[in-house]
Amino acid sequence: MRSTSRRYHLVLACVLVAIGLFLAGWAYQLQHGLIVTGLADWGSSGGVTWGLYIGAFIWWVGIAHGGIILSAAVRLLGMDRYMPVARLAELLTLAGLSVAGLYIIIHMGRPDRMVTSILGNYHVTVHNSPLVWDVTVITLYFVMTATYLALTLRYDLVRLRDSLPDRFEPLYRLLTAGYTEREDPVVERMVWWLALAIIILAPLLLHGGVIPWLFALIPTMPGWFGSIQGPQFLTIALTSAISGVIILSFAFRAAYGWDHIISDDVFRGLTLWLGFFALLFLWLQLQQIVGGSFAAPLDQSAATSAKLSHPVYLIAIGMVGVSLAYIFAQAIRPSLFSKPRAVLASVTVLTATLLEKVFFVVEGLMYPTFSLYEATPGSYVPSLIEMGSVVGTVAIVVLFFMVVSKVIPVVELHAIEHLQERETAEDELEPPADAAEMEVGT
Amino acid sequence: MIDDDNEPSIEERVSAFRGDDWEDEMRAVLDEGEYDTELGIQMARDARRLVAGELEEADFHERYHDAVVEEFGVDDRPLETSDESAASGHLPVAAETDEEELERREVLQKMGAAGAFVGLGAWATAENRDESASAEAAASDEDDPNRQWGMVIDLDKCDGCLSCVIACSQENQTSAGSNWMYVFTYEDDDQDGENFLVRTCQMCTNAPCEKVCPTTARHTRTEDGLVLTDYDVCIGCRYCQVACPYGVNYFQWGEPDVPGSEIDPHHAYDDRGRWVDSRPPKGVMGKCTMCPTRQDDPDRRGTTGCEDACSMDAIYFGDMNDPESDPNQYLETVREENPTDRETFANRPSDRVSTFRLLEELGTEPNVVFVGNEPGPNAKQVEGPVSYEEMGQVDRRKDVLDEETFAGGVFS
Ligand code: SF4
Ligand code: SF4
Ligand code: SF4
Repeated sequence: MRSTSRRYHLVLACVLVAIGLFLAGWAYQLQHGLIVTGLADWGSSGGVTWGLYIGAFIWWVGIAHGGIILSAAVRLLGMDRYMPVARLAELLTLAGLSVAGLYIIIHMGRPDRMVTSILGNYHVTVHNSPLVWDVTVITLYFVMTATYLALTLRYDLVRLRDSLPDRFEPLYRLLTAGYTEREDPVVERMVWWLALAIIILAPLLLHGGVIPWLFALIPTMPGWFGSIQGPQFLTIALTSAISGVIILSFAFRAAYGWDHIISDDVFRGLTLWLGFFALLFLWLQLQQIVGGSFAAPLDQSAATSAKLSHPVYLIAIGMVGVSLAYIFAQAIRPSLFSKPRAVLASVTVLTATLLEKVFFVVEGLMYPTFSLYEATPGSYVPSLIEMGSVVGTVAIVVLFFMVVSKVIPVVELHAIEHLQERETAEDELEPPADAAEMEVGT
Repeated sequence: MIDDDNEPSIEERVSAFRGDDWEDEMRAVLDEGEYDTELGIQMARDARRLVAGELEEADFHERYHDAVVEEFGVDDRPLETSDESAASGHLPVAAETDEEELERREVLQKMGAAGAFVGLGAWATAENRDESASAEAAASDEDDPNRQWGMVIDLDKCDGCLSCVIACSQENQTSAGSNWMYVFTYEDDDQDGENFLVRTCQMCTNAPCEKVCPTTARHTRTEDGLVLTDYDVCIGCRYCQVACPYGVNYFQWGEPDVPGSEIDPHHAYDDRGRWVDSRPPKGVMGKCTMCPTRQDDPDRRGTTGCEDACSMDAIYFGDMNDPESDPNQYLETVREENPTDRETFANRPSDRVSTFRLLEELGTEPNVVFVGNEPGPNAKQVEGPVSYEEMGQVDRRKDVLDEETFAGGVFS
């Protein structure tokens, strides 16, 4: 355990340094203004208005939404095999939504006015502004996910209390306040309904709704406009989230030796799902390219041909394509599968979706319908502060998992019980004690 | 660190017009003047009640008529009881002759800036609030509820001198490259030589920028249709710039070139007391405003900085809903000057004048009408007869902004 602990501290140190640098960059930006970014006005100025911050915002929201969809699907469809990773996905949702919210704040010129200006005029703006819809629905989703997580946690915390660190006693007491065993069936039903609500709302409202609408409703940016963005964004959310869960599962399995909890089977299954959604992603990209090239209006074909000749777009699509090819190959020939390769495919897909999202935002602003400006298409290279924010937010999410895994069980007790039911013959230990040991690593 | 601390002087200097301590501030101003402080304060208080609908307009006049005559020697405001006005079915606001208007201005001057601001600013709002205001009042120069400021710009007259660009940037003290007024020189397939497009904010009636704003900072001033940004409310999300089809918005990415202390509060706050004019502070969106503080000033109403500066007489600013306004009169004149031969060809349009609104097909309902040819799909912006640089202006603002991009040079 000593080595695990030392590794933990090493990772912790790196993560804190990254977060520190990110915060320093942000402080510098607050002091000098958004001029420290690579952004500028579109039009006569020759820049783009939104860039990496907004791209990274969509990316994190996508990861978050996909995470909770995954978890809800596992519960609703009884996909027991994935039970051990369901809570990881839920936690990823909370972490992802939090950093996405952070990106909204970082992106603002006057973050100090967020509360007064947005809440103060909410009753008016909620009727018009897609940005307000976004903030609303993200908040709603955060509350739903937190409730969902809190409900399922109560069951586990009561049973595992003895093996959990005493330091967090007040937190546990709060989370399990008023628990009686009689609530179990009620809570289970509530969780089921919540899962149903999430499954229905997510595609309709979130990554298939308000997030793409931020762009898809702007008719004068042909790279954005159109109804395909809903499904397109949803596929990006799901590929990103599955990739995220694969990476997290791998990290936890390696850190705590959970070979029998997050089995190879889970990885194989998740990898196949990743392939399926990557295929959908590419298919919807193809729709846009064909539609934008064949006999599209001038503004649209300019945007499409620019996209097709831009290296960032080609690299992003190529990365998804290569990952898909690997997943396809290992499905046909299982010997090609290995967990590190699955993780590599996941990292590739995550990188690709981030690139594609930033490119999507930037390209939309570079090819507006009104293109008389000589300075249009403008140019954009993110500044070090903007790039640092990606590293910083990834570090925040890693830190979140490192802390959370010390406080609460990151694998549901139900999942462990389920596994043990299957293995009763070999396993003689008391299930709760065993589970606690595995889940709350030290 | 990111508060309005960097704009202290504007805030301080105009706090007399805004916020809760207006009374103290105003008392100080009135104390300095030669007229009765208590009267001024009391009038201002009641003026606020008038706006809030707590006090009838006629009652307000009745209450102060004698006192005002005594103090200033003149009161041009109508005296009629609320009962009478109810009987006559409209508010007792008479059409003003020029003479009356002059007298009224005199009183304004006598009352001093603070009194005039609170007292008569409120007066105007109260009239707008009441939809039964008489037709005569509606037609008066003061408060036309149907007013829609806009422009007619004759592109055939423009010679690309950029005077309007310079005038605007000086008047509004915008930062380098924030070209609220922007003049394109372009070449097009079917047009010979240099063509110009003079681009302000189009003051859209159905403004996408306003629709998407998450804070209501971007709003239309109801009394005259100007699309403005409240610099005290804007959070700098830049969605308005993203949604505007014309690219007329310029964000204040860093510290403004001209500090707040050098900005005249009378050129910053409009008569509603909202900070909507002059250049925006750091982190806030700016664009052509069509000069709202000029429109609030009876002496300069109906003018803009760019229009004043245009020696070619290409810009006509005015009320687009008023057939008698400068822009509409100008349109009529050019049309009359270019008639078609309808005696021989009865079905021809009445004139040969080409007019257009920019990207009208987008449904934004712009309030700027151009006379001249519309740039076609293959139009290309080219170097103009004078360059922005020659005129001490910046064309491509990104060049300026890039200087402060953090380590941006690493990548370029
Ligand atoms: S031109 Fe642009 S900024 Fe001006 S009102 Fe129209 S949409 Fe808004
Ligand atoms: S930048 Fe300001 S004015 Fe523009 S949409 Fe955002 S809050 Fe509204
Ligand atoms: S109308 Fe006023 S703000 Fe607009 S371009 Fe002219 S001077 Fe500038």
